[in-house]
Amino acid sequence: MRWGMVIDLKRCIGCYGCQLSCKAEHGTPPGVFFARLLKQEEGKYPSVRQMFLPVLCNHCTDAPCVEVCPTEASHYCEGGIVDIDPDKCIGCRACMMACPYNNRYFNAEQSWYFGDAGPTPYELARTERHQTGVVMKCNFCAPRLAEGKLPACVANCPTTARHFGDLEDPNSNVSRLIKDRGGFTLHPEAGTSPNVYYLAP
Amino acid sequence: MSSQRYDQLIADLRSDYRPQREWGEGKGVLMVAGHFLVGVAGGTWLMSSIYDVPVGLTVAFALGCLGAIAHLLFLGKPMRAFKMVRHLRTSWISRGFVGLSMFLVGSGMWLAIYFLGLGGPWLPLTLFAKALAAIGTVIIIGYMGFCYTASKGIPFWQSPLHPALYIAYALRGGIAALLVISAVTGVLPGDWLLQLWIGITTVVCLFFVLELHGAATGGNVAARRSVHDMLAGRLAHLFYGGTLTIGLLVPLLLLVLPSAPSATTMALIGLTSAASDFFMKLSTVRAGVYLPLRRIPQTAT
Repeated sequence: MRWGMVIDLKRCIGCYGCQLSCKAEHGTPPGVFFARLLKQEEGKYPSVRQMFLPVLCNHCTDAPCVEVCPTEASHYCEGGIVDIDPDKCIGCRACMMACPYNNRYFNAEQSWYFGDAGPTPYELARTERHQTGVVMKCNFCAPRLAEGKLPACVANCPTTARHFGDLEDPNSNVSRLIKDRGGFTLHPEAGTSPNVYYLAP
Repeated sequence: MSSQRYDQLIADLRSDYRPQREWGEGKGVLMVAGHFLVGVAGGTWLMSSIYDVPVGLTVAFALGCLGAIAHLLFLGKPMRAFKMVRHLRTSWISRGFVGLSMFLVGSGMWLAIYFLGLGGPWLPLTLFAKALAAIGTVIIIGYMGFCYTASKGIPFWQSPLHPALYIAYALRGGIAALLVISAVTGVLPGDWLLQLWIGITTVVCLFFVLELHGAATGGNVAARRSVHDMLAGRLAHLFYGGTLTIGLLVPLLLLVLPSAPSATTMALIGLTSAASDFFMKLSTVRAGVYLPLRRIPQTAT
């Protein structure tokens, strides 16, 4: 079993649904984005088009973040998911420097979205569980997977641009999409064997 | 997270070349200071051992302690620092932690034995302390460059010359410390130390220029951007002001003074040389930018 994601860039409309649903699911504090969306404009007027690139942790099979972590806080979980044990993390941020996809965030201090107004009840319920002084990142919504659900960004994508499944199963939806439409990964030259694939727009 | 820091992060995430700000900015300066102090400590212990300068060994120990404190203050969770022994197999930070611990324990023991007169030079405990400090010295001089080289997200740091450059920095720091110590105590002849300093400074400059040249000509877009930032962008003031002016031009001017090198000149050269190393490390660390993500292939690969 090797969990993986396929993101169809042809279907992505840049609605930020993935980013918002991730925020809602994990209650990540300000400045921490497990999933985010990059926008890019291509061409010259009048032939211009806007492109969207949703990014998240690539849960690499040869993850450099796991290699450099001095405390084994960054580790591989079941299904090849790369996760961080916040009780082991010392906040040295070496993993942030090692990640070629810069999808790790340091939660420096307790902070709220509405500043001096203090935390909302929702933030209290969700955000307070995150430790400060440690690095955070996407874990493919491992608790949801354990309940048999899809990751929040996949379940909430309105255009079904995101697909999730077992990359080792040749008949899974993700394996078939990669095979049929030639999925590619970001920065293959980094040699990290990412498990998030993209389909060309 | 303060609104200023948040706005900065959002601006960085939107830019094509996101600079790393965790190491080298804000509290991250402590990480660079820690590397600088530990490097100088290793170099000073090595040079003082070679030339048998007990004061230098004491200074090295003090610098090592300060470096360790700087490292601890940088960490998000300093109370968990002992957990760094867990991943020696692949993590250079783990190895550095063990090396620094060995250095501090070994050098501390040796200094206690020496200054308190607890034993002769060939007693097992003295030899053990010396060996521990020596192994620790080798590790702390060597490990830092590899910490950066292992950072796959920052192409500028991935030069194979980076570890060699950090070893050269440590040796130069050691000689700089001996220059200052000799200026104060007169324990070593100034001429010989200055010749050593000129030699190691030439090596540092050569490695640094080769590294920049390699990144500018053979590196990817992020490495080239880092070189641009350092030489003609947001970090030019650090490079030209700190590294070149304070660290190279001032010592060279002091060296070509017509009079023989005085104690003050030697001390100034030592201090400016150390300051130069700090600025060189700081500008190199701050120049790190992440690989850009936005280049989307138009067709399947």
